[in-house]
Amino acid sequence: MNTPTAVAAPSAQASATASAPDAARRKSSPAQSMLVTGNQAVAWGARLARPQVCPVYPITPQTPVLEQLTEFQADGEFDAEIITPESEHSVMSACIPASLAGVRVFTATASQGLLLMHELLHYASGARAPIVMANINRTVASPWAFWPDQTDSLAQRDTGWIQLYVESAQEALDSVIQCFRVAETVLVPAMINLDAFYVSHAMEAVDIPASADVDAYLPPFAPPHKLDTAKVESWGNVVSQEMFYRHRQAIEESMARVPQLLAEADRAWRERFGRGWGVVERYRCDGASAVVVTMGSMCGTARDAVDAMRADGHAVGLVKLRLFRPLPAEALRAALAGVRDAIVLDRNHSPGLGGILHQELKSALYGMAGAPRVHGLLAGVGGVNVPPRKIVEFVQAARERDPQPESVWVR
Amino acid sequence: MLEIVIQGRGGQGAQTAGNLLAAAFFAEGRHVQSFASYGGARRGTPVSSFIRVDDKPVRVRCDIERADAILCFDSTLLEGKLLATANERTLIVVNSGRSVADYARTHAGYRVIPIDAIAISRRAGLGRIVNSALLGALARAIGVPPLAVLERTLAERSPKLTDENLAACEDGYRTADALLAETVAA
Repeated sequence: MNTPTAVAAPSAQASATASAPDAARRKSSPAQSMLVTGNQAVAWGARLARPQVCPVYPITPQTPVLEQLTEFQADGEFDAEIITPESEHSVMSACIPASLAGVRVFTATASQGLLLMHELLHYASGARAPIVMANINRTVASPWAFWPDQTDSLAQRDTGWIQLYVESAQEALDSVIQCFRVAETVLVPAMINLDAFYVSHAMEAVDIPASADVDAYLPPFAPPHKLDTAKVESWGNVVSQEMFYRHRQAIEESMARVPQLLAEADRAWRERFGRGWGVVERYRCDGASAVVVTMGSMCGTARDAVDAMRADGHAVGLVKLRLFRPLPAEALRAALAGVRDAIVLDRNHSPGLGGILHQELKSALYGMAGAPRVHGLLAGVGGVNVPPRKIVEFVQAARERDPQPESVWVR
Repeated sequence: MLEIVIQGRGGQGAQTAGNLLAAAFFAEGRHVQSFASYGGARRGTPVSSFIRVDDKPVRVRCDIERADAILCFDSTLLEGKLLATANERTLIVVNSGRSVADYARTHAGYRVIPIDAIAISRRAGLGRIVNSALLGALARAIGVPPLAVLERTLAERSPKLTDENLAACEDGYRTADALLAETVAA
């Protein structure tokens, strides 16, 4: 059993910075529009959030995040202590005590790296360490590959982390900052997921907010409890059954607040920066009899498919699930009320179960009067290409058959 | 929406060319999305770069199935999977010393503009670094971005040999200009 408090803790220097943030040392940067990749946008989000400790280990396709952060630091623009332990397991082991020491912590990983962290992901949420992490969704071995597939993070859905799935570089940047605000409010760690290749390595125009505006949006992290030699408290003690039970209940209560808190954080972001992403987005769902439900980069492709079907006179919309954990069941039920067919596109695979979103959506809609027929499609598993014309085909075929409990392989 | 596929081999500069082209379109005020294969790419293995350009934000996130233009750094790659993204209207600029007529025979039904980019780059003093010459040729073939915008982007982003890169770009542009009419006739 790993003991997180025994491994690399932030240095005294970082702790000193944490306990007495020196506003004069904070470098400011202006608002600008830049051509950057999703990975670079994540690094910009991290830079603007001003974490004080950033343990990180490189893995394709996340490495450019680390490269960009170290470049920022070399330029004197990123004042975090970057720790480079020997594995992702040790990265998360370093993140936890740093966070418990009361400093803001950011990291990023992908695929195998996320899986190696698994044990510590549970520990982080149990310790109520509001770490924010970007995960680049990439296929899980074996066999070896680098394609977009969300099985890596969906396999962590029971670890107690907030999970967002984003569609673009801009949304990735904005989500990193929004997540710090939400995570630090409820003391629950948060994971921002972006698809390999189509988001992580896609270069596009991104509005980089001015650092002063982000500073005004995101206050410094000031937790009510922290590891402090002057005021001694401890974490991770052996507890009774009753205490464990109450601890889990407390986590659940915090999780339950997240949909509302994210909606508020997003509303405040929209007011300040003129754009927002919602919790569950309804795209052209008015009067829709069929709705595509998906997460991440495929939402962008689905928008074009929906536009094409609408142009042909079909009442089809898209529900984009941005927040996957906690699953915003109420928002999903509201978004799909009155819809005949919900067509779930899962770019992930749980052997013996099928598509994970397919199963989660069915559970969210259970018992709902007039619930839509839910069709689960395993589309794009392993990074298989899913162009708009394919989504049109999938929707048309699904509407003509009865829904099955199992997910269907389509390509 | 304009969709461009750039194909080369690892180390040839196809990915850099894609980023430069995207930067030029961005500088022109267009919406762009540019992505490249990665991870498994090693020096010498095929590497693809994809660019979408539009007047509104690009939302689709999938492979390019039908390219409006192809820029091929290695003529041996102009076949199979790459050629399957082309139709008779696709403008194909390929790094080759062969003639337009020759390609009309071997690649009947495709619009191939062969550019001897190695010869152009050597004349410009760039050795075998062909991406500026090929980008100039591609810009002429598809009519965008304007040569001045492309050259400004190259000048801003080329780490060294700026004059040589600009000369190769212009030479590539002029070479494609001369061949374009011939290609239409073929």
